[in-house]
Amino acid sequence: MKPLNLTALLLFLGGAVWLFTQSERAVREVQDLYFSAMSPFLKSGSKMETQARAFLHETRHSKELEVELETVRGELGRLRIIESRYRELELENERFRHALDYKKATHFDVVPAQVIRRQPTTWWQTVDIDAGQERGIGTQLAVLSNEGLVGKIDRIYKDQNRSSVLLLTDEKCQVSARVEGSPEVGILSGQRGRFDGNPLLRLRFLSIDAALRPGLRVFTTGRGGIFQPNILLGTIDSVEKGALDSEALVRPSVNFADLGTVFVVLSADP
Amino acid sequence: MIRYSFITILLLLASFVVQQFLPAFTGMHQSRIMLIQLVFLCSAVTVGPPTMLLLAFIGGFFWDAHCALGPHGGAPEVYTQQVESLRFGYSILLFGAMGFLMQGIQPLFKQGKWQFSAFLSGIAIFLYLAAEYAIINFIRGDFMLSKATVMQMLFTSLLTMLFSPLVFWLLFHIAKTCDHSINPDARRKRRLAR
Repeated sequence: MKPLNLTALLLFLGGAVWLFTQSERAVREVQDLYFSAMSPFLKSGSKMETQARAFLHETRHSKELEVELETVRGELGRLRIIESRYRELELENERFRHALDYKKATHFDVVPAQVIRRQPTTWWQTVDIDAGQERGIGTQLAVLSNEGLVGKIDRIYKDQNRSSVLLLTDEKCQVSARVEGSPEVGILSGQRGRFDGNPLLRLRFLSIDAALRPGLRVFTTGRGGIFQPNILLGTIDSVEKGALDSEALVRPSVNFADLGTVFVVLSADP
Repeated sequence: MIRYSFITILLLLASFVVQQFLPAFTGMHQSRIMLIQLVFLCSAVTVGPPTMLLLAFIGGFFWDAHCALGPHGGAPEVYTQQVESLRFGYSILLFGAMGFLMQGIQPLFKQGKWQFSAFLSGIAIFLYLAAEYAIINFIRGDFMLSKATVMQMLFTSLLTMLFSPLVFWLLFHIAKTCDHSINPDARRKRRLAR
């Protein structure tokens, strides 16, 4: 090997090893710089992707959308009436709590956001949403849809009003979960290499004689410090008995193939 | 030569910008056009090992910055078996390995047979994805390989390979502008034929 090539190879390997030893914080700083530089292109890219999807969706389902819009309008009116009633009840409840000297205040603060980009990387199940630091969003916050838990905030794009959500279908998104009507508690996560449509989730570390049947609902336990309790995760699809414990496959309650509006939970009662 | 090398670096950086406009094809097993890797692989066959390694370092570094996930979070007493992440910088080694693979058929490319390199770029993309997936399996344990994953890798490689003639055309154009020959044997042959 020529001396120049050998020197280049040694420098290359040295540089790679140096990067391997970098701390999580240093990596985050590098990522912040990278995404700051990419900011205008990320925005344009997301906008283009959103427009393309909207166009495709519109051409495919324009009639369906008209019907859906009418239904949604009706539903909105109904919910407005319920909401006004709910506000009254909340105020009344607060007054009663105050009167009874309750220390704890009820709050469940959420920020709505739109999915603007789907799966920007090859292997990780993530989406980008159009809400970031400016709206009070930080990392490790739970993200919901009206169907149940979507995932958690993985990364905030600094000064870009957007953030990245690690979906529940990703192997790295672990949630402490319980099965309704049973004492079973386990850890729910996505499965590796399952990308198509709505993949099943895996509920691990159940007891060996777990008496579970398909259709039972799975909720968050609230343990672990990220997800609030009693958020719907999905329903039991099947149970696999192992030598030491049982595992269950769970059908997610959220349709991940059709994610539109999501809600980031800023704060909630434990 | 220096001017050409410098422009290939700029081209690689520009591919990061263009990549932001290339979404995953949900209807095709989440496959995508991996433009960054393609530009690197095509450039790797046209330059010497030191420039190739520099391109691999830059490409791998920024690709990891693009892809790296955040820390697990949550209470460790609840999440006792946390899922491992890949270390920042692993892509640099993968880029380097694929670059050396491309350089293996550099003699053919120098003879003007760029079609072999275009075909190899598809194979290299497939190997890159397979290696990346194998590393994930190795780090996280429990080897899992679904049909969907294989299809994703296959479609991504094929889709990306289709664009390699375009990247080679661009590289030939840049070389001509820089008055640098990336296939000197073919040029010599042409001169002798005249």
